[in-house]
Amino acid sequence: MRIGDSDPAIDNAIELRGVTKKYRYFTLDGINVTLPRGQIMGFIGANGAGKSTTIRVLLGLVHQDAGEVRVLGHKMPAQQVAAKWDIGFVSEDMRLYEAMTMSWHMDFVRSIYPTWDAAYAQLLLKRFGLRPDQKIKGFSHGQRVKSALLLVLARKPKLLVLDEPTTGLDPVARHEVLRELTHVMAEEDRSILFSSHNTQDVEQISDQITFIDRGRIIASMEKESYLDRWRRLRLEVPRGMELPDLPGIIAVEREGSLAVATSNAFVPDIANAYESRGARVQRVENMTLEEIFVANVEHSREEVEA
Amino acid sequence: MNTAVIGRLILKDWRLNRLTISLAIAVGVGALLLVRYGSEIARTLGTVWFFVALIVLGSMLPASTIINERKKQTLAFIMSLPVSAVQYAIAKMLSIWAMFLVPWCGLIISALVVIETGRVIPHGVIPILLILAMLPLLGFCIISSATLIGESEGALIAASLVCNSSYWFVWYLLSRIPTLTENWKSGLPVWNPAVRTVLLSEMATLAIIVAITLLLQSRKRDFI
Repeated sequence: MRIGDSDPAIDNAIELRGVTKKYRYFTLDGINVTLPRGQIMGFIGANGAGKSTTIRVLLGLVHQDAGEVRVLGHKMPAQQVAAKWDIGFVSEDMRLYEAMTMSWHMDFVRSIYPTWDAAYAQLLLKRFGLRPDQKIKGFSHGQRVKSALLLVLARKPKLLVLDEPTTGLDPVARHEVLRELTHVMAEEDRSILFSSHNTQDVEQISDQITFIDRGRIIASMEKESYLDRWRRLRLEVPRGMELPDLPGIIAVEREGSLAVATSNAFVPDIANAYESRGARVQRVENMTLEEIFVANVEHSREEVEA
Repeated sequence: MNTAVIGRLILKDWRLNRLTISLAIAVGVGALLLVRYGSEIARTLGTVWFFVALIVLGSMLPASTIINERKKQTLAFIMSLPVSAVQYAIAKMLSIWAMFLVPWCGLIISALVVIETGRVIPHGVIPILLILAMLPLLGFCIISSATLIGESEGALIAASLVCNSSYWFVWYLLSRIPTLTENWKSGLPVWNPAVRTVLLSEMATLAIIVAITLLLQSRKRDFI
């Protein structure tokens, strides 16, 4: 099966079910992730959380010990060649051939993929400010990332898998890369898995959010509704009063008469419950994705250790 | 079989290594010119350089095509293309084998031409030349297979050390077989049973190493 042959009836670009991979000092533990077609998933985790291993499993480069992996309907790793016709992969640690020019790389990729769009490649060269006759060794890190992205985008893959593509980029280059990804998604039937430890980038472009920590998925859902569930409540608590354990509150930090409660399933009744027990709710604040990620990781680790 | 992509990967390796191949051919041809036109000392030097060119090429090709792809992190780019680990190994083996065999065959043929036209070296040396020339080919096969399977600079260095330090010892052992060396001064090449047995053993060893390499590569579970 070659490019364009993916079954349009398949609903999910990526499906990982109970994927396990054991190493001596690290285990990817029962990973379940689903990326619906046409969506962007932000895949967030700290360094060493298992993002790159998960990505290598779904590309067929690392074989899982247990579990099922399907990418664009293809079973991995057995059907990795068929799947890879429609997958574009760029990672932060991916390098091109330093001694060769950008133009040589474009010719090389074009010679493999019949879907190569030469006009779009030229447009990307201009947008990214890349010179086709320049050797890769003369490129900055940002230019190298943009070159790898150009080589992938110009062949029009149905699924983009980006492993920390914005790491180490200056703000301008990051903006250019994210803007191009947003353009890409204007085309129907494209899906993106975007791994990063930079939550700002992920928050900007994702429809779905997945958090991974210590080889386990700790959350995976639609971004807006997920963000909406999290709140930080700033409380004033009378001396001597103990704050009650309320459902939906995952952490409470107290400093004298002031307390901060974090909720992962906020409903107004939580604030009312505090008020009814004598605490005063000073403010109910929205949380950024980074704050949610950190709170989630800490809560998950506490649960595991308990 | 994914022949179109494998073909592109082979062409890519040729393009990236053309300087190394050209240099090996240049050194080999220079060595043969010394053998053809030089004094006795120059002929000895030319013979040594002829084999050194093949031995060095046998270590350099696996280093530049397999190790550099990992060290310089271009392997992820290649493996993002529609190829499996086994297809990558096949492409890699075909490309480095071709990159070694083209100069190897070219230099062996050139050496035969020198023997044929030079009238200084007896034709009886031809069987010995082929037996000895098979050794760098065998060494190259061992080094490239060890590097492909071991995926590390350590594997390359260890295999190169073992092979490159063994040539002289193997040559010495072969020189101790009287039926191999007794006819080297004759006017015609003599293909006696000893010569045929050694040549066939060398070829069989090559085939076994290639088969083992492909088998081990197909069993790998983690590729990057």
